[in-house]
Amino acid sequence: MASEQNAGIAHQIPRNSLALLMIAQLVVIVPLAQHISLWIIVVCLFCGYWRTQVYRGRWGYPAGWVKTVLVIAAVAGLAASGYRGFSLEAATSLLVLAFALKLLEMKTRRDAYVVIFLSYFLISTAFLFDQTLLLTVYQLVAAIVVTAAMVGLNQLQTRVRPVNSLRISAGLILQALPLTLVVFLLFPRIAPLWSIPVPSAASTGLSDKITPGDVARLGRSDELAFRAVFDGAVPAQRDLYWRGLVYSEFKYGTWTQGEPLDEISLADAEAKIHLDAEEFSYEIFLEPTQSKWLFSLDTPINYSARVALLGDYRLVNPEPVLSVARYQVNSATGYVMDHTLSGAMIQRETALPQGDNRRMREYAKDLYYQVGGDAQAMVQAMMSHIRNQPYVYTLNPPTLGRLDSIDQFWFDTRRGFCSHYAGAVVFALRAVDVPARMVGGYQGGEINPLTGHMVVRQYDAHAWIEVWLGNKGWTRFDPTSAVAPARVESGLDAAINDEDRAALSFLSAARLGREGLLTQALRWADSLEYRWNLWVVGYDSATQIDVLKDLFGSISAWKIGLAMMVGSGASLLLVAVAVFWRRRPQARHPAERMFQKFCRSIRHPRLRRLPEEAPLTYLIRLEKETRIDLSDLRFQLQRMLYDPDYPCGPLQRYRIRQAFRKLRFKLAFSTPTTAS
Amino acid sequence: MLAATPHKKTGSSSGLPQAAVSGERPAPLGKRFGAWLDRRIPPGQRITLSQSNIFIFPTASGFTFGGLLLILILGAINYQNSLVYGVAFLLGSMFVVTILYTFRNLSGLTLELADAEQGFVGEDIAVRVRVTRPKGGGREGIQIGWPGGFKHWVEIFDNEAALVKLYVAGEHRGWLMPGRLLVETYYPLGLLRAWTWVDVEARALVYPKPLFQDIPSTQSSRHRDDGELIDPLGSDDFVDIREYVPGDPVKNILWHSYARADEVMVKRYASYIEPRLWFDFAEVSGGTEEKLSRLTGLALQATRAGREFGLRLPGLEISPGIGQSHLDTVLKELALFNHGQ
Repeated sequence: MASEQNAGIAHQIPRNSLALLMIAQLVVIVPLAQHISLWIIVVCLFCGYWRTQVYRGRWGYPAGWVKTVLVIAAVAGLAASGYRGFSLEAATSLLVLAFALKLLEMKTRRDAYVVIFLSYFLISTAFLFDQTLLLTVYQLVAAIVVTAAMVGLNQLQTRVRPVNSLRISAGLILQALPLTLVVFLLFPRIAPLWSIPVPSAASTGLSDKITPGDVARLGRSDELAFRAVFDGAVPAQRDLYWRGLVYSEFKYGTWTQGEPLDEISLADAEAKIHLDAEEFSYEIFLEPTQSKWLFSLDTPINYSARVALLGDYRLVNPEPVLSVARYQVNSATGYVMDHTLSGAMIQRETALPQGDNRRMREYAKDLYYQVGGDAQAMVQAMMSHIRNQPYVYTLNPPTLGRLDSIDQFWFDTRRGFCSHYAGAVVFALRAVDVPARMVGGYQGGEINPLTGHMVVRQYDAHAWIEVWLGNKGWTRFDPTSAVAPARVESGLDAAINDEDRAALSFLSAARLGREGLLTQALRWADSLEYRWNLWVVGYDSATQIDVLKDLFGSISAWKIGLAMMVGSGASLLLVAVAVFWRRRPQARHPAERMFQKFCRSIRHPRLRRLPEEAPLTYLIRLEKETRIDLSDLRFQLQRMLYDPDYPCGPLQRYRIRQAFRKLRFKLAFSTPTTAS
Repeated sequence: MLAATPHKKTGSSSGLPQAAVSGERPAPLGKRFGAWLDRRIPPGQRITLSQSNIFIFPTASGFTFGGLLLILILGAINYQNSLVYGVAFLLGSMFVVTILYTFRNLSGLTLELADAEQGFVGEDIAVRVRVTRPKGGGREGIQIGWPGGFKHWVEIFDNEAALVKLYVAGEHRGWLMPGRLLVETYYPLGLLRAWTWVDVEARALVYPKPLFQDIPSTQSSRHRDDGELIDPLGSDDFVDIREYVPGDPVKNILWHSYARADEVMVKRYASYIEPRLWFDFAEVSGGTEEKLSRLTGLALQATRAGREFGLRLPGLEISPGIGQSHLDTVLKELALFNHGQ
């Protein structure tokens, strides 16, 4: 009998804790909702509804075969959802599905712990997609809710009130923060151990494929691409060409990067820099791109040791950028990229497919002949052609055919955005065997006046070209500046027309707008986010080494160990003081103090106050045991202790002290009557 | 004078107490551990919990939690994600902070024996333990119980102490010493368990399991009419006057008191058979334990019937008496017969 009851209490989930648990599950899934398929959300809601009905005693738990069918259907659904390979989205979907189905068999304490641990896991999974301050604050609240469910599991069933559990859990997490900070600062950061499923590339950012014929997707999102912090001078807006990708191959209407080039080193770079060269030093906080490419200004001659420079002068990360990447770059504007070009490189940068875009090829040959075989003159001629003919810069160009897209754009539609113009000029140059390539990245950037850092957003995405001009090396031209000079001088806002503007999202419009309250607020939020990235999200091994060197002078294992011990000790001491503080006697009500003093003075075993006795109960018992009339004293004590309006001045205190004194005197000369 | 024939009731008590006499404290914890505990946390009537007698260790969930943290840190390393590191460190720190919470939940509590009831073999016997908390915050999620038994959840918020009524199965007659009490808490997260074994020197008296049979009747002067009127005992001698209870015979009503005071009183009579019974160990049947059981049953029946009885055990004679305190004396002797040397 006893052990069964025991098992019952030990293994059941208290009702209130169950309610918290279900709220926690909801809270945890919300931030993941945008990364998983809609039908999984529907499954979650369905399971949640079912479990709620069970909770209210209306439905039963599903039978075994129903669960089996559900699991098989879920796995089949996942397989049919067409996740490519074992991506992070697929893994997350699987996890969320398991999490939802677990609802239907959440009966015991053990199940509850499984759900709680899964919840913690999902909380951290959300950070793989997004690391903003807002999400962090949200997840902190989520952690409090999940922890509260765990607290509820260990409280007496009748006592569990969600608010009480939440208060305890919030206190726990708050008190854990100092220690968290110490460990976060000191725990050594090490390089990745093995490769892992990666989230699929964001749909709003740059892509390593550009198909000008397809409808534009670029240029609209106000999502952050990266922040740059300049140490010293900031280049002019028109010189802010952030190189990220180099498109050297054109096939079937699509520009791609082609075979990656080998890593190079610019150790002897200084010899090749013009004397009037300017040098800029800056640090970049790149938002996750799920790709290896990094962004830099022309030409990176010095950069963080972890990143590499490839043969086309672009920086790459050793692994895909999955969380904010931080790197330091020094760029020299005067550096000449490739004085000489090898045969293989010429072959690579002039290659074109056979037989497409015939009109463009003819046009290019004629033009090249006209300008006397000078590549630079040819580019300028094409740009003045764009300027003089009715070309239009738009974010919504008409769709073009795949094969002859360049012909169609250049001669027929004449509407397009950066990559249309860049692509057409590169094609023309390659058609006359001038090495040329398209470069993708961002153009421009906005200084946040609050913190002075530069913000580059997805709508700053841009494409331009580089032409190899012998001694001058690769030289940048921007054909788009011919059709929309304002795009380059002052950013997207100046370049787009009203129709495009209407299509922008509310926030993009606000960011591009003039000084308004909202713009100010957004800037403020951006500053905050920047500091968040600077101190928390971007706290990688290099930053850690810098910070620790600043703190301790030099880094050694024993110093870190000592710091860890001292830091944890101090933060735990802080918590211990908070936890045990209440041990100290608290200042009590004067009447209660006198009452306690009286109680201590009573030595008779039967008359002594029992620890569990309330003051008035004790006096009633005393009255019975001794037959002394205590009704006045009782009444007075009751009013002083429990009536907030009753005055508690010196007179009242004097009276009650006298009353206790008198009673003590009486008790000393009387023995308790035997209880009848 | 007793001439009783053993009379087994069918069904109700086929199992006679097999029990050997229990005298030693049960040692469910193993002898060596028990001895170590006795040195470490000596038995006492009041035991206050402190760092010297509270043990603390992660539970299975706690170890799983540790595994989760390991996975999170591996994920943080592989994804180079500061915030995943952050989650792992936060959860780890929370675990460490919980150690203080769990420890504090038991620390400072005082346990003492309040009282214990008596019972018969085969019954659950109540032992009440008073748990007093120190000044300051309330305590909750504390479980108290004897190993293998029901665990009582305790919380102390408004008062300074709580009385916990715990039941122990009375398996053997004699002094029941339930031994060390397990006081444990998983509060607040269930990832850690703080516990201690305390011996508050609880002991309760367990009487032999009663075996009932007819009280052997002796020569009687039972009056035919009055025998069953007031009580089953008799009718001849006037006993007292008490208030009328429906069912009392009309002829016993004191009519003059009714006329005077508007109260209906009746006279009570009892008939005396040989009023003093002797229950003798030598005269009941069975082995020692069965004999004790039968004597217990007889004593209970006689008391219920309001008859005076005496008890003869080898080497002991209790002169006839009546009432609860006499019964208590008799039962105590039966419980402790050949016991506690």
